[in-house]
Amino acid sequence: MSRALELAERAVRAVEGDEADVSVHVESSGFARYAASAVHQPTLIRDETVTLRVVRDGRVGCATTNRTDDDGLAAAAGHAAEAADSSPVDPSFAGLQEPAPVPEVGGYDKATAALTPEDQAEAAAEAIAGAPDFGLYGYYTSGVTEVAVASTAGLAVSQAMTDVSVLALAASDNASGYAEATSWRASDLDPAAVAREAAEKAARTKSAGQIEPQTFRAVLEPYAISELLFYFAFTSLNALALLEGRSYLSGRLGEKLFDERFTLRDDGLDAETYPKAFDLEGVPKQPVLIVEDGVARDVVWDRRTAKQAGDGHVSTGHALAPPAQAFGPIPFNLAMSGGTASSVDELAELVDDGIYVTRLHYLGVVDPREGIITGMTRDGTFRVEGGKVTTPVVNLRFTTSFPALVAGLLGLTEETTLVNRSDFYDERYPFGTLVPAVATDSFTVVGTGSGPGL
Amino acid sequence: MQDLAGHAIDAAVAAGAGYADSRVVQRRAQLVATKNGEVDSVSDSETEGIGVRVLVDGAWGFAGDPRLTEEGARDAALRAVAFARASASRAHTRVELAPVPPASGDYSSPMERDPVEVPLEEKIALCLRAEEGMRRAEVKITEATVRAMGEQRVFRSSEGASVTQRFVECGGGIDALAVSGDGRVQNRSYPSAHGGSSAQAGWEFVESLGLDREAPRVGEEAAALLTAPACPSGITTIVVDAEQMVLQVHESVGHPTELDRVYGTEAAYAGTSFLKAGDLGSLRYGSEHMNITADPTTALGLGTFGWDDEGSPARRQPVVEGGVLTGYLASRETSALIGRDLGGSMRADNWSRMPLVRMTNLHLEPGAGSLDDLLADVDDGLYLSTNKSWSIDDKRLNFQFGTQVAWEIKKGKLGKMLRDPTYMGVTPKFWGRLDAVAGPQEWTMFGLTNCGKGQPGQHAHVSHGTSPARFRDVQVGVRS
Repeated sequence: MSRALELAERAVRAVEGDEADVSVHVESSGFARYAASAVHQPTLIRDETVTLRVVRDGRVGCATTNRTDDDGLAAAAGHAAEAADSSPVDPSFAGLQEPAPVPEVGGYDKATAALTPEDQAEAAAEAIAGAPDFGLYGYYTSGVTEVAVASTAGLAVSQAMTDVSVLALAASDNASGYAEATSWRASDLDPAAVAREAAEKAARTKSAGQIEPQTFRAVLEPYAISELLFYFAFTSLNALALLEGRSYLSGRLGEKLFDERFTLRDDGLDAETYPKAFDLEGVPKQPVLIVEDGVARDVVWDRRTAKQAGDGHVSTGHALAPPAQAFGPIPFNLAMSGGTASSVDELAELVDDGIYVTRLHYLGVVDPREGIITGMTRDGTFRVEGGKVTTPVVNLRFTTSFPALVAGLLGLTEETTLVNRSDFYDERYPFGTLVPAVATDSFTVVGTGSGPGL
Repeated sequence: MQDLAGHAIDAAVAAGAGYADSRVVQRRAQLVATKNGEVDSVSDSETEGIGVRVLVDGAWGFAGDPRLTEEGARDAALRAVAFARASASRAHTRVELAPVPPASGDYSSPMERDPVEVPLEEKIALCLRAEEGMRRAEVKITEATVRAMGEQRVFRSSEGASVTQRFVECGGGIDALAVSGDGRVQNRSYPSAHGGSSAQAGWEFVESLGLDREAPRVGEEAAALLTAPACPSGITTIVVDAEQMVLQVHESVGHPTELDRVYGTEAAYAGTSFLKAGDLGSLRYGSEHMNITADPTTALGLGTFGWDDEGSPARRQPVVEGGVLTGYLASRETSALIGRDLGGSMRADNWSRMPLVRMTNLHLEPGAGSLDDLLADVDDGLYLSTNKSWSIDDKRLNFQFGTQVAWEIKKGKLGKMLRDPTYMGVTPKFWGRLDAVAGPQEWTMFGLTNCGKGQPGQHAHVSHGTSPARFRDVQVGVRS
């Protein structure tokens, strides 16, 4: 039995005489963060987090603790029971998940789990050595995360996940380039190659020029489209947002909203993403076809929103742990179908005259209902002229409609890339988006910023 | 806890650390959230553990362990040393720390009523009452939240520092989301967006917010925004309310003056800064009306403490005086790099994270006069209120911010309400267009709990005090 499941079952036993479910995160991770080509903030974390949800006569209370001895679990059970006793009946509570078989998934690699701090420091050194002409900034991190959910209804599921990411910003005062890679298998990653990609990009960004703001035709690398997609997903592909009318898809399901080459699914069983067997209330993951050939089909659901909809919807296995469920269900395994382009150069040919975007920075959702997102480009923005990627340009302020961007697709690469989307706040929970590079006729730039570099 | 912290220091030094510090943290937090008249969540969370930071041959190492036992403390120390040693063998520079006298003493947040001990029933009732006041036909979603936190933090270092601090925080906020028949959405919040406002204080702070008192206005304004005209595009004068000025100060002054960003250690994630170390004392950041102070001694501030997380004492330090950059937010390491004693801003969000240079309480000092005085000198402009969206570039230069609402200003008076306002600018040019800050009677402090930085990510709790401020010739109404 995994440590996480053992903790979950002990926590369930600590809740006497009530309905309850428990979700557990067990993390062991190392983070070799580097700056100016030296490891600067190396961080090792071990933690165990137990979240109990106690139900008393329809009233619900939650408590979280990392004190995992018997006294700590009993105290947390007491806090959750007190919270339930203090609350009125929660009519939106959908009850506990019944035991159900969960699918077998990948996502755990013994060799990755066995990486030591010395291995992590060595991998960081390999990355640094891959960019000798620039300062290298970023990190190499790997970790093991066990999650488990158990309940008084007899639910008992667990999964162990590994993840590893390398991030490389190669930079000098007037040049910067970016690359990253992620997987649940360390052997998939070559830190030096990632750093070389960043350095080669950086070398092309010197002497960046100005450009007049306008709506451009654009090539977006996977790093860029991944971030836009996830911001859109967080606010629009979430059943709670749909039901509350905040989602771009509210009232628009079934309509052809996007280019027919835009197909998007969330599939926790896809081994090319970070596979997940169940969500954080123990519901088995269901593949969800979100957009099919440009037609909006569905969003992701948890038990609470399925009950709220009241129209036969069921959870698709996308719940967060309580109390974070207030955000609604989240698609952690988004996969956007690829197209037919063999390379980003072919996408540039489709754009003909426009811009090329490597990476984005500090996105903000200006209008979630319309899918309008603002942010900056950085670390590799170029002109596209005559179908070729040509000269570097300064960082660009964009305020653009994501729906318009994917309605105006000009092409997609056949190859798709998993891009890490975790910033590693709070408990580690690996997730990312699987995306191609894209070309679009609609990427709206509203201003210009500073040049590349530090 | 002091003994455990000391045990970790002893183990780290015995294993070869040239410097070591340790933090033992025990935290309990509560969150109550209601939505549409029902309880959305009631949660109580505890976390505890020890974090050990070491220097071995001039290279950092850090490890956190949740076990508050001698074994946990020793394991954290040894793992931190091992990681530092693995890094040191490949380092080309040695970290040096500016000297600081070993800290000793206790600090406790002042409070009248412990917010964690306030009955949950009372917290739920306050939220439901506030929500009730926001209800209108057009308002489809009402939300209210209150939070409370108590924390003990023990710090020791191999230089002899020994500090115990007890922090208490609480806060709350309300939000109304109005949806029109044709699917348009608008929202209003109080006292600020993104979770309300918090303070280092007892429950009396939450009571002072008057959530239920303000609720009817919040609901009315959310509904009214549905039929308000859109903010026009153009160049105009803006008067920014104190709540939005908090974000303006945070993003365009706070982050760029973090000295670790200036030296590049945040380059890959949060970004760097348009400022250089040599700009200190000479760079014109804004107009003569711009005075910014970092003050971890401010009463009620979320960034208030006795000592920071590397034992530097709390002290008030100017950052911008008369529009000229005169200070940075710094650590002992970055103070040594710049050759000035600027330390006191190192903070970690928990036992499991390494301290980083963070904002404490960063204030825009008040000017003179009232909000009405600021408005009176505007022939044609906009009054912007309450943050809605934000984005700023990696050097903290080019920004675009949106607010929940604007009112036009015509001949010195507020006019009609406008929806979807945005404005953009370039940091020093924008602050250069500051021509008035309202006086102390308009100065308000807000506490934020969502400032993100670092890899792995950390949330900082920071406060900003500001008065409404007026800027000339600003681009507004940016849309896709």
